[in-house]
Amino acid sequence: MAEEYSVIGKRLPRIDAMEKVTGTAKYLGDLTIPGMLYGKILRSPYAHAKILRVDTSKAERLQGVRGVVTGRDTKGIRLCVIPHLANKPPLAEEKVRFIGDEIAAVAADSEEIAEEALDLIEVEYEELPGVFDPFEAMRLGAMKIHDEGNVAIHILRAYGDVEKALKQSDYIFEDRFETQAQLHCCMEPHGCIVHLDRSGSLTVWVTTQVPHPYRKMLADVLGMPLSKVRVIKVYMGGGFGGRFEMDPIEIIAYFLSKKTGRPVRIINTQDEQFTTGRTRYPMVIDIKTGVKKDGALLAREVKVVTDNGAYNSHGITITMGVGTKCTYLWGVPNVKYEADVVFTNKVYGGAFRGYGNPQITFAIESQMDMIAEKLGMDVKDLCLKNANYEGQLTCMGHKITSCGLKDCIDQAAEAVGWKEKRRKPGNRGVGMASLMHTGGGVRLLFGDCNLSDVFIKMNNDGTIDLASGMAEIGQGSDTALAQIAAEELGISIKDVNVITGDTWTTPQCLGAWGSREVFVAGNAVKMAAGEIRRKLFEEASRMLEARVDDLVAKERKVYVKGNPEKFVLIAQVATTCYNRGRILAGRGCYDDPTTYIPDSKTGYGGVPTYAFGTHAIEVEVDRKTGQVKVLNFIAAHDVGRVINPMMAEGQIEGGGLQGLGYALSEGLFWEEGIVLNPNFQDYRIFYINDVPPMKSIMVESVDPDGPYGAKGLGEPGLVPTAAAIANAIYDAVGVRIKSLPITPEKILRALKEKE
Amino acid sequence: MKRQLELKVNGEDYSLTVEPHRTLLEMIRNDLDLTGTKLGCGGGECGACTVILDGKAVKSCLMLALDARGKEIWTIEGLSRVGDLHPLQRAFVERGAIQCGFCTPGMIMASKALLDENPHPSEQEIKDALAGNLCRCTGYVKILEAVLSMAKPD
Repeated sequence: MAEEYSVIGKRLPRIDAMEKVTGTAKYLGDLTIPGMLYGKILRSPYAHAKILRVDTSKAERLQGVRGVVTGRDTKGIRLCVIPHLANKPPLAEEKVRFIGDEIAAVAADSEEIAEEALDLIEVEYEELPGVFDPFEAMRLGAMKIHDEGNVAIHILRAYGDVEKALKQSDYIFEDRFETQAQLHCCMEPHGCIVHLDRSGSLTVWVTTQVPHPYRKMLADVLGMPLSKVRVIKVYMGGGFGGRFEMDPIEIIAYFLSKKTGRPVRIINTQDEQFTTGRTRYPMVIDIKTGVKKDGALLAREVKVVTDNGAYNSHGITITMGVGTKCTYLWGVPNVKYEADVVFTNKVYGGAFRGYGNPQITFAIESQMDMIAEKLGMDVKDLCLKNANYEGQLTCMGHKITSCGLKDCIDQAAEAVGWKEKRRKPGNRGVGMASLMHTGGGVRLLFGDCNLSDVFIKMNNDGTIDLASGMAEIGQGSDTALAQIAAEELGISIKDVNVITGDTWTTPQCLGAWGSREVFVAGNAVKMAAGEIRRKLFEEASRMLEARVDDLVAKERKVYVKGNPEKFVLIAQVATTCYNRGRILAGRGCYDDPTTYIPDSKTGYGGVPTYAFGTHAIEVEVDRKTGQVKVLNFIAAHDVGRVINPMMAEGQIEGGGLQGLGYALSEGLFWEEGIVLNPNFQDYRIFYINDVPPMKSIMVESVDPDGPYGAKGLGEPGLVPTAAAIANAIYDAVGVRIKSLPITPEKILRALKEKE
Repeated sequence: MKRQLELKVNGEDYSLTVEPHRTLLEMIRNDLDLTGTKLGCGGGECGACTVILDGKAVKSCLMLALDARGKEIWTIEGLSRVGDLHPLQRAFVERGAIQCGFCTPGMIMASKALLDENPHPSEQEIKDALAGNLCRCTGYVKILEAVLSMAKPD
């Protein structure tokens, strides 16, 4: 099938590779704006305290200090990606709620002077008891972190009749799973340069995944017209969801710029990144599943407690999303979901690749393995029996338009050697786990839409400039969009200049999240390029004296179908159009075709398509040390249509390794609110010498609405990994670890208990 | 306060004055405007700041600029001329060993130091040489392939 395409499905290098490989690509920290000052932030040493007094007078007098701001300057401002839930002051007013909470900030001629000035700021605190455990925080009489109480939201939803279905079940499984705070660990720390110039125009260079929504958030918070706010995302060292909101440092830099009239740069140090940056939300998940003897899943009841940290960010929507995700994998007909999102005196979480799915999939897929064992079934057969399918309508009303899950299960099992290796004696074992996730964004957070707008203009020589509001964050969206445009217009990917990241020169787009880039922006590019192709063909049909319907664009030529000798160069057509006063421009605004809202009570929005996948992993467990060695990692993913196999593999391999870290080594740990491992030595992500043999398998289900049938792939790569590892460990040595990360200590303890 | 410093960077001689507490990384980025070398963690843990100093890969955030007096340094900018890539850079491009690109200059310089010393390293030797260079995007698979392709030209 893919053979008919010239650019789609090809292993092409990234269009930004030359800049990145030569050190030419400019990241935020590489920019210098004339007159730029350096900002530093004074942060709370207490997890919970009242602020009685802040005196900045000595700091203000230090030579080289140009401006100091406190909560008095930012009074009344509250931040959150969801405006009505906003409760984070950019700078503390009366209270601090976690170690690292922002109190005051200094802009100075150098970072050293700014740091020195921080030491001169006097703060008087009245320490309050801290609450660090969400269950403790929920107890009656617990110390209140916010006046409104410690429970940010209680969620209750039901679909079908769970009580009845549980009664009809032959077996009921009840288990508790716990997940930890994983960090994004972007190689480039978070930062910004903010300049409110004397004319009142605001320019913000910032590491963001969502330039246009970010601009709106900023304008809303500051009460500025959008036309006066320019947001620029330059090259960015990773995102993974961690830059899917406005950070307090940017508002702080704004007030420092307002006070000094100069551009102010703030970039997090590594310690700030580890102790005050966003995290994946830790969850405690109680899952109860009712099954028939034949393996049919009848009912599921899930209770979740989310550790929200000190302030609201994505915690509520992620926890609501978990309520959705627990309904759709394996299409369980009756589901009840209950959850509490609870404040604690710790750093607050945020969006992170998978948006709650790695947490709930760890629970669902670990339990599937346990269910299969009890029923005496191969878990592979249990999964195939319950597998989602094209045309399925889930209990919540999610419609599955394309589905390659069965193929993923079969192919992953085959590649890992499932039949030969499963349930064999020794210290080796294989496990599998699957996933279902949006493959094209969702109507959530930024209005009742899921849109992306694209402008393309063709130049006289047949090259094009493509402007999109999408954000290239390393995932490769600029390249994928260029490939789609090149395919539509019959030109080379080298002829495509992609312009993204600047809200003043690009059209509206919700940005890079929810695995939506290829599906949503890709469709918009296809529409815009299609408009140009129509105009090209009109002119070419005159030049070739042929019917428009008979024309083909390929290899920079327009020719008559079946007669490639009869052609004109696209550059010739473009020049002719220009000489006749006709502009070759196209616009495509795509909003996904979901017209329904699955649940009017929850407001959780429609999803245009779903991605699926199965990980099958072989491990070896050392019974003496508890060490787990990953011997083989197979990741089969239903990606709809592969736009670029090399880059798709990159998403799967990179996601997979983050998944292994989530499963085995990563996690932020606290003692009384103090982060114990705030650096790369103590917070252990996988290194190159930890990489196991990895194999990616692409299942192309060809989605009816995706561009060329493509679906998103950004998030799925790490969703099922932890469960596949837990299941493989069980297969190897017979211990079931239900909390992440699965450390050698936990395995040794479980082995000892088993004896 | 500032002290005199002479050194060679990317084949060119430099004479400049720097404060004693400046790191080699700060000197490269701020005084020489060579921003291809990145500041990641600032603590020698991530490897984004890797440069080659007298033939060895070093983390420039951990070294004082003045300690580089009289040394010969190569940064990512010294690896290629305009429009012409070093074969190692080409391998990274063609094998998809780049995503966000922030670790890429350090990764390439660490790989180059290895290949200069040992033109045919084994997979394990490459892994050992790059164990101090972190990447959060790629899962390292294609980085390893790229460096291996240099070790065993096909």
